[in-house]
This record gives sequence, C-alpha cells and structure tokens, in this order.
Amino acid sequence: MTKLVRNLMRPGILTCKPEATLGQVATALTAHHVHSLYVSGGDGSILGIITDYDLLAGEWLSGDPQSLEVMRKLTAGELMSTPANTIEASVPAHKAAQRMQDEAIRRLLVTENGKPVGVISVSDIVADIAKKAITRRETVADVMSDVFLTCRENTPVASAARAMTTSSWRSVLVVNPKGAPLGVVSGLDLVRFCDFESDYQKITVAEVMHAALTIHMTATLQEAAQKLIENHHHRLVVIDPDQPDSIPLGIISSFDIVAEMARPESIWQKKQSNNQAGSSSS
Amino acid sequence: MSTGPIGMGQQSEAEREEFEKELKRIIEANNNAGLMLRVIGSLAFQMHCPKYGYLQAAMGRAYTDIDFAAYKKHSREIKTLMAGLGYAENREVFIISEGNRAIYENSHNKLHVDVFYDKLDFCHVISWEGRLEVDAPTIPLSEMLLEKMQIVKINEKDVIDTIMLLLEHSLGENDKETINIARVAKLCANDWGLWRTTTMNLDKVGKLAVGYSQLNEENKIRLVNQVKKSLARIEAESKSMAWRLRSRVGDRVKWYKDVDEVQ
Repeated sequence: MTKLVRNLMRPGILTCKPEATLGQVATALTAHHVHSLYVSGGDGSILGIITDYDLLAGEWLSGDPQSLEVMRKLTAGELMSTPANTIEASVPAHKAAQRMQDEAIRRLLVTENGKPVGVISVSDIVADIAKKAITRRETVADVMSDVFLTCRENTPVASAARAMTTSSWRSVLVVNPKGAPLGVVSGLDLVRFCDFESDYQKITVAEVMHAALTIHMTATLQEAAQKLIENHHHRLVVIDPDQPDSIPLGIISSFDIVAEMARPESIWQKKQSNNQAGSSSS
Repeated sequence: MSTGPIGMGQQSEAEREEFEKELKRIIEANNNAGLMLRVIGSLAFQMHCPKYGYLQAAMGRAYTDIDFAAYKKHSREIKTLMAGLGYAENREVFIISEGNRAIYENSHNKLHVDVFYDKLDFCHVISWEGRLEVDAPTIPLSEMLLEKMQIVKINEKDVIDTIMLLLEHSLGENDKETINIARVAKLCANDWGLWRTTTMNLDKVGKLAVGYSQLNEENKIRLVNQVKKSLARIEAESKSMAWRLRSRVGDRVKWYKDVDEVQ
C-alpha cells in the first residue's frame, strides 16, 4: 500500500513568535532537539520557518562588535524564510521525498484541507527507510552496524561522552590515523568520571579505552554470541580480512543480536508446536 | 597634469603617450617571456575600447599608473622581468600584502606599476583563477566591469571607464569581445555583498551617464539599455542558499570591506 505523508509525518508544530531573538530561537531548538521552528503570527497563522541553518548567519555575520550587536537584535520574523513550504497529508510520501530532492528542502509543513497539522522532514523519511527489513540474517555481516562512531586516540573523554549521548550509541571505536582499530570506549569505561571534579577535558580516550575484540564478517551469529560471552564483551569489531589495518567494516553488539531475535520473522518468534511448548514430560 | 581627485585631471597627449608606450614595452617583454601579465585599470579600458577610448581624455580621466593582474605562481619571474625593464620592487608592499600585491618603481621614467596577484581584494574579492588565460593583453571584459563595480564608494574615473566599456561592447554569455554578463550574474548570485554593490553601481552609472555633455543622445540611450539588460540578467540568475540567507539580513550588517583596511 502506498504510504501517505500523514503516515510518516510528526503531528504537531513547534512555533516561535516573530519577535523571538536568534538567541531565543537557538535555545528552543536545543531544548526540543529539533532543527527548525515555524514562526507564527498573533492569530496562529504560520508566517514562515526559521532553521538551525538560518541561525548560522548569526555567527557568520558577527565578525565585529557592531555587526554582533545588529545580529543580536535580529528577530525570527526578520530572518525566517517565507512562506513555509507545505504539502497535503493525503499526498503519497514519495512525492514529498521528490519535492525535498527537487527543491533542496529538508522539511514540509503538512496540512489537512489547508490547515497545518504536522511536519514531515528528511529524518522522517530516513527513519522509514531504516524500518525496511533485511531478508537474510545469518552471519555477522547481515546483522552488524556498518555505520558507527569513531574518534582518534587524542579525543577528550568529554567529547566521546557527548557524541555517545547525542547519537544514542553505547560505544566509540578509537582508531589510528589510517583507521585501524586501537580500542573501544564504552559507557562503562566512562562511569568512573561520574564524580570527577578536575578538568577531564585533558583526559583522552586512549587512557580509558579497552582492547577491541575482533571477528570476521562471515562468522555466524552463534560464533559471535559465543565470543561475546566467553570474553565478557558487549561488542565485536568486524575487521576486513584483506585489510586488517584499515578502518573496520562494522561493529556487532549484543543489542544487534537481541534485535535480530526480536524480529517477527526470527526463529525466536515462531510459535512452538504443542509438544515443544514448554510441556513437561510425565 | 592639472590636479584633481586621483585619476581625474587634464593630461597632455604627450603624458598619455608616455604611459601607453611604457605599457606596450612591458607587454612585449611579458609576451617574449611567456608570462601572463594582464592589463587592468584605466589603460585596460583604453586598450579594449578603441571606439570610445577618446572619452577618457574628453572627460578628464587621467592615467596615474600601470596596473596588472597576474598569478602568484609567476611572481618571481615577473620580478625578474620588471628588473630587466628598469623597475625596482617595493618589497615592503609584497610582504605586507602577503604576496598578493607588488609595486614596482622606475627611477628613470618615474612611472610605477602595480601587480595584483591571484585576485583584486578591495571592497569585494574578484578572483583571477582560470581567467587570465581567457583574454589578452587585458583581463576579460566581465572582470573589467567587476573591477569597477566592486567599489562601494565609486569615483568619477571609475564611472567614466564603465561608460566606455558599456558603450563599446555588447553583453552576452561568453568572453569573445563580449561582456560575459552570465559570469557577472553567477558571481553575484553566490555573493550577496558583491550583488549589492554591483547592482547599486550599475544603477548609479545609468543615472550619472545621462548628465555627461560629452555623450550624445544615442550614447545615453545605449548606456541606459545596457544597464537595464545587465541588471535583468543578474536578477534572473538563480541565487545560492548563502545569498538568500544573507539577503534577509540585508544592509543591517556591512556587506563590504573598507578599502583602507586592505590598501
């Protein structure tokens, strides 16, 4: 069935007043973890949109004290793009995606009979792509995450903690200048800084990382699970057998294997026959 | 020469010929050396406007120096070339400008030569990258137009040079004896500040031109039309995201460098 814009959109619209300053808009964007706000008039009508990209103008154009003063006084109403790009909720989602590509825009205000009801953004379409099931899930290569967080050995632990928090990743792979894995920093490596009062910007990930345990992408999930349990690790670094000193191919974690077990098509979710379903023998 | 604002004043035919003769000598030496010195400034307009070049003398536009554009990668060879022609480099200028500009003085004829390497960096930056190969012995006509249009506080001498250029050459989409207005439009579409100054000055040239008694009615009509066509082409060019963002801030923030900051 064709997905419609209303199936992928996020309902509701975050707004700010036209007289909001750039500083106030920045605070609201950060507080709501969003990249844009719609600027609404006194009657609730949408006047335009202001994005994090627009706010870059604040830094870009405040090279001297006089310009900074002007930019500090600039309002959302003055800097917004207007009018806001809109799309009807009943339109097929692929048409929204096409418009985003054609017009190089990242979000559309969704309307129902002309009345704003939500927003559909590039992120919503990407999230839908992420939901699409992969059919074959037998080896490490099928299940591993092939996009992951990396940093160099001199990265401060505070930066690693920040990246892990914002990306919802539980670890960072530490690599050398050529991308070869040097170690892994996990949440457990960082908890020691919970009560740390001194300047831990000076402490680098190289000082806290643990050794990376590796596995080949052709290994089975059983082999991966066995290696994790035997070594009491939560993740394995998947190396390229032809180029072991280059950037790894991916990371497979205990969570990836559990997510595979939770899939409706997984063997772990199939109904068991009566004589297998936990029956006790007489 | 009678004194007036820089570049303005009555100049005798002999004085003008001295500059033109010296320019010819430098160009010949440049050609023999296989270098890429390209003429800019008042003498470039004189060379590229054979039909309307007389307006410089008629309107009191005087030569003050000889200006060139060149690539920085040739700066050493240019220094040797100029030394061979009797010019000594003011090394301080080259160092202070971080190699972007060189001034040469000739103690014999008292003329001085300015070389701008890689770009003209006054109110706005006009890059020479890939452009000095396009025309000779001057920079391309579109860069000649921009050389004048980038000056926020435009002087009468610059207005006169622009008038000559717009009268002499048609507007088009290439550089062959044509002011490549497509290139001007593209540069302006990527840089709101350059757009702001260029469109402001084009408008100014159109308005000032009608007041010159040295121009006939036909000249004035052509100039006004050339300005209109230029502005329309610049307006029609699709603008970059940065341009659109900068345009929303507009004149509230200064959009150009003060010339004193870069001279």
